[in-house]
Amino acid sequence: MRAVLRWTLTRLLIMAVTLLGTSVVIFFAVRQMPGGYESVVLGPLASEEQRQAAAERYGLDQPVLVQYWHWVTGAVQGDFGISLVSQVPVIQELALRLPVTVTLALMALSAAVLIGVPLGVLTGLRSTSRSGGALGRTVAGLGISVPEFVLGSVALFVVSSVASCFSVGNLASLSGEPATLVRALVLPAAVLGLYCLAATARTTRDAVMNVLVEPHVTAAVARGETPGHIVRHHVLRNASVPVLTLLGTITAYLLGGAVIVETVFNIPGVGSYMVTGLGRHDYAVVQATVLLAAVAFIVINTVLDIAASLVDPRVAAAGGRR
Amino acid sequence: MNVRQSCTAAAGILALTLTGCGGGGAEPAAQAEVEPGYLAVADDTATAEGPVTVQVDYDSQEDGGLDPQLATTARSWSLFGLVYETLVTVDAEFGFQPGLATSWEQPDETTYIFTIDTSAQFSNGRALTVDDVAGTLERLKDGVGVWAGQIGPVDSVETLDDTRVQVNLSEPYTPFLAALANSPAGILPMEEIESGQVDIATEMLGTGPFVMESHRQDQNWVFSRHDGYRHAGDVLITELRVDIVGEDATRQAALREGSTALANFSNVDALSLLANSGATMYSQQQSDFYYILINGLREDSPLNDQDLRFALNAAIDRQALSNSALAGESAPTGVTPSNLPGACDPADLPSAGVGAEGAAGLIEASGYDGEPLDLLVYNSEPVLGQMAQVIQQQLEAAGVTVNIEQLDTAAYYERTHSTVPGNFDMALGWYAGYGDPAMVTRWWNPDIAGFSAAFAGSHEDLNGLIDQAAAESEPAAREQVFTELCHTVDEYSEMVPLVHRPGIVGLNPDLLTMDLAANEGYGDFLRYLPTARPVSAG
Amino acid sequence: MRRLDLAVLRRRPGASRDPLMVAAGIVLGLLCLLALVAALVPFAGSPTEISGPRLSPPSWEYPLGTDSLGRSLLPRLLEGIGVTLVVSATAVLITAVLSTAIGIVAGYAGGWLRETVMRVVDVLYAFPAIILAILVAAVLGAGRVATVSAIVLVTVPLMVRMIAAQAATVAHRDFVTSARISGVRLPVILYRHILSGVGGTLAVQGTYALSVGILVEGGLSFLGQGVQLPQSSLGLLVQEGAVYMVAAPWLLFAPAAVLVASILSITVIGDTLRDRLEPREVRSLA
Repeated sequence: MRAVLRWTLTRLLIMAVTLLGTSVVIFFAVRQMPGGYESVVLGPLASEEQRQAAAERYGLDQPVLVQYWHWVTGAVQGDFGISLVSQVPVIQELALRLPVTVTLALMALSAAVLIGVPLGVLTGLRSTSRSGGALGRTVAGLGISVPEFVLGSVALFVVSSVASCFSVGNLASLSGEPATLVRALVLPAAVLGLYCLAATARTTRDAVMNVLVEPHVTAAVARGETPGHIVRHHVLRNASVPVLTLLGTITAYLLGGAVIVETVFNIPGVGSYMVTGLGRHDYAVVQATVLLAAVAFIVINTVLDIAASLVDPRVAAAGGRR
Repeated sequence: MNVRQSCTAAAGILALTLTGCGGGGAEPAAQAEVEPGYLAVADDTATAEGPVTVQVDYDSQEDGGLDPQLATTARSWSLFGLVYETLVTVDAEFGFQPGLATSWEQPDETTYIFTIDTSAQFSNGRALTVDDVAGTLERLKDGVGVWAGQIGPVDSVETLDDTRVQVNLSEPYTPFLAALANSPAGILPMEEIESGQVDIATEMLGTGPFVMESHRQDQNWVFSRHDGYRHAGDVLITELRVDIVGEDATRQAALREGSTALANFSNVDALSLLANSGATMYSQQQSDFYYILINGLREDSPLNDQDLRFALNAAIDRQALSNSALAGESAPTGVTPSNLPGACDPADLPSAGVGAEGAAGLIEASGYDGEPLDLLVYNSEPVLGQMAQVIQQQLEAAGVTVNIEQLDTAAYYERTHSTVPGNFDMALGWYAGYGDPAMVTRWWNPDIAGFSAAFAGSHEDLNGLIDQAAAESEPAAREQVFTELCHTVDEYSEMVPLVHRPGIVGLNPDLLTMDLAANEGYGDFLRYLPTARPVSAG
Repeated sequence: MRRLDLAVLRRRPGASRDPLMVAAGIVLGLLCLLALVAALVPFAGSPTEISGPRLSPPSWEYPLGTDSLGRSLLPRLLEGIGVTLVVSATAVLITAVLSTAIGIVAGYAGGWLRETVMRVVDVLYAFPAIILAILVAAVLGAGRVATVSAIVLVTVPLMVRMIAAQAATVAHRDFVTSARISGVRLPVILYRHILSGVGGTLAVQGTYALSVGILVEGGLSFLGQGVQLPQSSLGLLVQEGAVYMVAAPWLLFAPAAVLVASILSITVIGDTLRDRLEPREVRSLA
């Protein structure tokens, strides 16, 4: 237990360091973008005085380190600054967009969990048949090989040109009403979900196959335990760690980075907010959205690591390989 | 939400798609004029009231927020024009019609007297006064907005009585009414602004047909009908949503499935792509035009040689450019937009008669050393990349190697406009063409348009012609000045007009019927939205 | 964006001559060959010449039809295959060299050096791939350099981590210890023992990184941040084609099919390599 505690503290410390490093990279990368912010926000026709006035208004005339300090201290308190373009606090816009992105992520994730995992277990248990194995590999491989922008574009066209129950053209008007939101997001979630499903099925299958050849499973078979019991008690438990790791990664990816699907379907989520912000050098917006994505990833992974050590104390004892 | 109830089985979707993919017809489906000057007219028999949703490609994005006087882009003008009214308006023939001014007279060349419509009121219920009008014009003239450069040499504004306002110009300025007709000259509630009751940068208070309810940047605008509007009886749209939808494909999908009644497209092929979709597609001839900057100001650049610049200009075949990159939906223009009255004929330009071989000869004769030239485009308007590739081919044929660089907007402006002299050889962009041929020519004088100083020299003869073009009012003499002006711009070849920027608009006739002018000067395809008529879903 | 699948390793016994692997190898080899031949001898015509009518359907003259500028799609597709593969392969090569150097040194040395490297890697790893790629393109300006750098930054973290872990394991093996005791110099140990010990990991991760590279290139092109015009790439062609799906479906489906086929082939090859080369030791947690 002591090892677990120490492992947890180490993980938390590492998380803090990573978060700090990430914030530095984001902040300075944004300021390295050529062209600055004024050209876009003010347009090329603006005068020098207008540019300076804008710089002062957003504190962009201060030394960079001072700006960084303001940003980090603000961000910790939930203040991400003001959008240069809309002149509205970024947090206000995020509060509207985060629910959309989270809903989309949950929908895609449920495809991974509800379909991907059983599919992976099933194909993993039957992997001895060679043709079935090849088929499973090809199908799962295909699922992760079709880029979202291809699948998304095709889906958009198919659904809009044929009368269907999905509406794809008016996501900009998404209201906060959960039922409407879910219905409107079915198609983009399906596009995202297909990939998540295939990746999960692949990993689950591999994990199951790996466990099947482990000595304790062989021993269980030798003891004459029923197949159902073996699967539940030996296979699933031991296969769950890599699958959980993958699901964590998928969740983080969905929360911060469904950039392409959000762009294709014009979904007012966090990913599309980042892309438009980047195109306009809207510093506060880019910083906040990229930070959010990174934080999601870091926190989820840390939580999973700690959880893994609770499930399997060997992880903590080994000191980790990260 | 407009969700179709009929759910089609997945197999059906697939089958229909496969059959739907067979035809590859790419015939432009643009509509001809149905009435002189109009591509479409509202159907008077539609009398239903109701909400309407419109989708546009990008949002207004202004440092001045909602202040119309600081608005720099056509999109802002369209949106602000739904709330604010101008003294006069342009009609489909670029003539002028009453707006907030019921009539106007011009006792001499430099004096205008406007009689205002006292029945107009702001959406807070206060009646319009002459002080609002005078104050607005003063504010505009003294302001830092781009439109201060278009409103002309306004010397003073005075109120004559409760209904009349007099504007004194310091010299004749023919485009004055055209400049007054655009949203940046919209009449503001000066009383509320001066008392601090209204912050015009964050809220809107106008006399126009709509009242702004909400705006979420890059998402949507919601407007409601202004019941106190002078012609409120003509407005049948009770609630107007303007959704911002960045991807062309998504807007096409929305128009097809009926999620939007009206949408604009940046890709001219939307005309053919949506031909059989149930939507009606229109190609508006806009006075806006694309230009190529040929930077002659950078030290040691071969482009300092005017002969080489002219040769490059002459090597660009505008018609071929329009055919390849704009599906033939455009036409060449000189610096005076060719669809405006009195504009010069682009076919008569010195560069137009040179031809491909002639241009190649000129390039060789200029002693150009074969050093590759860069051509900058920004990636938020994909057609610029298409045009750049066509120009690259044309110049290649004339013996010039061109490297295309696609930049994001900020990096583009940094190199073309903010750095002086500009850090580039050539660049593509576009200007709004406005409603009078003399207006856009002012950007060719770097003393008026500071942003041109990065790549264009200040030339006495050219500046003189630009002033003359603005001052001359007699049509025949004007036309002559325009021709001379076009030729001079063509010869300097620093900022070279290419072809018009077409405006592609799609309308779902099952949802909305409205007027749409064949020619448009301010990129405002929402111009006649207030009198548009929702079609009852019956 | 798609490096999720890299995170978990496995081993599978007895993957000998695998028809799927053979098929994948043939597809990939054929694509490479076609692109190479087209680059040397433009048998299909010029990829940039504006010669035909716009958006014309496939015909004898234009086997895959023409694009929205009237260019034949076939030579553009061939060029696109080449560009995409070269860009991704260059990036992966750089990643491999960088990761091997960093990973071996960090893994062998251990201690604070390894900790520092791992923290830097953690920071890079925390960015979703496509976001990192867009940021890089925004800073460097769209084009080949940005695309290659983006792919490198996206693929380096995982590979460094894998190789460092592998190197650390090998470093504690008996033969390395005995080599050290018997006075073999450090560079020789690193080269002879550790490098050969991480070879399998390198091959497997490199293959996966290649498919990630193709996806990143495609994603960047889709968002208008890819290769410079008039050059084509698979991602760019798909993006251009998606616009004309209704009127000219061949513009989308031809490059999309090639894109999917190459990613699928690479994934299959990666899987097979993993089965054969991946040593047991790194199996547990990634």
